[in-house]
Amino acid sequence: MKVVVDQEKCVGSGQCVLAADDVFDQRDSDGLVDLLDASPPQARSADVRHAAAVCPAGAILVED
Amino acid sequence: MSIDAERLQLPLARPNVLDLAPLYEVLRREAPIAPVTTPAGDPAWLVTRYEEVRLLLGDKRFGRSHPEPERASRISTAAVQDGPTGEYETEEADHARMRRLLTPAFSAKRMRMLSDHMDLLVDGYLDQLTAEHDAAGVVDLHSGLAFPLPVAMICQLLGVPEADHELFASLSERMAGTAIGEEAHQAREEFFRYMVGLVETKRPQLGEDVISDLIRAQSEDPSYDYAEMVRLCVGLLFAGHETTVNRIGLGVLFLMTNRERWDELVADPEGHVDAVVEEIMRLGAPGDLGLLRYAREDVDIAGVTIRRGDALVLSINAANRDASVYSDAETFNPDRPERTHLGFGHGAHFCIGASLARTELRVVFSALARRLPALRLAKDIDQLQVRATLTGGVAELPVTWR
Repeated sequence: MKVVVDQEKCVGSGQCVLAADDVFDQRDSDGLVDLLDASPPQARSADVRHAAAVCPAGAILVED
Repeated sequence: MSIDAERLQLPLARPNVLDLAPLYEVLRREAPIAPVTTPAGDPAWLVTRYEEVRLLLGDKRFGRSHPEPERASRISTAAVQDGPTGEYETEEADHARMRRLLTPAFSAKRMRMLSDHMDLLVDGYLDQLTAEHDAAGVVDLHSGLAFPLPVAMICQLLGVPEADHELFASLSERMAGTAIGEEAHQAREEFFRYMVGLVETKRPQLGEDVISDLIRAQSEDPSYDYAEMVRLCVGLLFAGHETTVNRIGLGVLFLMTNRERWDELVADPEGHVDAVVEEIMRLGAPGDLGLLRYAREDVDIAGVTIRRGDALVLSINAANRDASVYSDAETFNPDRPERTHLGFGHGAHFCIGASLARTELRVVFSALARRLPALRLAKDIDQLQVRATLTGGVAELPVTWR
């Protein structure tokens, strides 16, 4: 599984951090998304997809 | 039931503080974007279906400003969500600057770090309530818990003296008042003056808090208008407590009227609290309107043509109960398979305080379940005093656990 984030679109909601804090974080400087793991293990698939689904800015893309 | 050919008059009367007008179900099915008359007497579109509400919230062709503000439809009779805000030409840039300034201070990680502090506060409130309960048998959870926690937290984050809480709570109440006419707007001006006083008191000794950050940013940026900065501080103080106070009250009511859900939470607070909080965010329906937008250009959607400058009331309450998205949509069910909702909005204006609110709600509901498993309402739900404000909710929450 491959994860791509778009910092231009990100609105810093932190929804992804709540969904999967081992994959996503927020930068201290501006609160925007910080991708911790661009290829998370398959076991994390449900939470990572949930993070993408609830992102209010559509800034997370998950590819198989 | 069918929809009248005439414009519907908002607000649609609701049967009680938890349920919505049955007409919303009809609207979602037959007229998801319907022409209505606002409480202030002007035309607007009421959007009720999840799909369109979510779509419009994420669409930059709709904003909070208006090309000709003096000609814009007025919406609520309160001094909040009553009409357009901000400059039409610079709205997007102004909003981006605001988000940039505020987002780090309200990040999920920072809010989670406040959990332990909130635990201590809530334990203190519950100690006090327990002592009162031993003496009186009934206590008010609204004034003893739902109100003080969000107030203490937002004061700490913004750098507002907690001693001012009675003053700004009363200003907030009046500013959001829907049945007091011009007084709501007077309250907004008083709130503005209070905030100017606070800003100027803080200026010589700025601290590590959000209002200090905004004062610094405004003084360094000639394009950042002073009044806009003060209005933002007012908005943060208002929204930072008002909304969560309400939500705690609604959550308690849902759990007390769905006893089996409460029992599940009591049996395993840590295991259930996150889902309970999300379901409270989905089903809790504060106020009778919704989020306000004005079209920046002509848009064809869901069979209607929205003209540039038209007002739209996006009903989060109705969207979150859309039966085409949620199974048993009107039922309070934290175990439901659907995990998303629009309780914090969507798109560029997504609630900046979402992580703060979630952390507060999590702390409150796990503490209640742990410490007061026998909790129940001491008054019939239909007898509870409902607030005549834009955000609604209850003014009291008498409970007992004897």
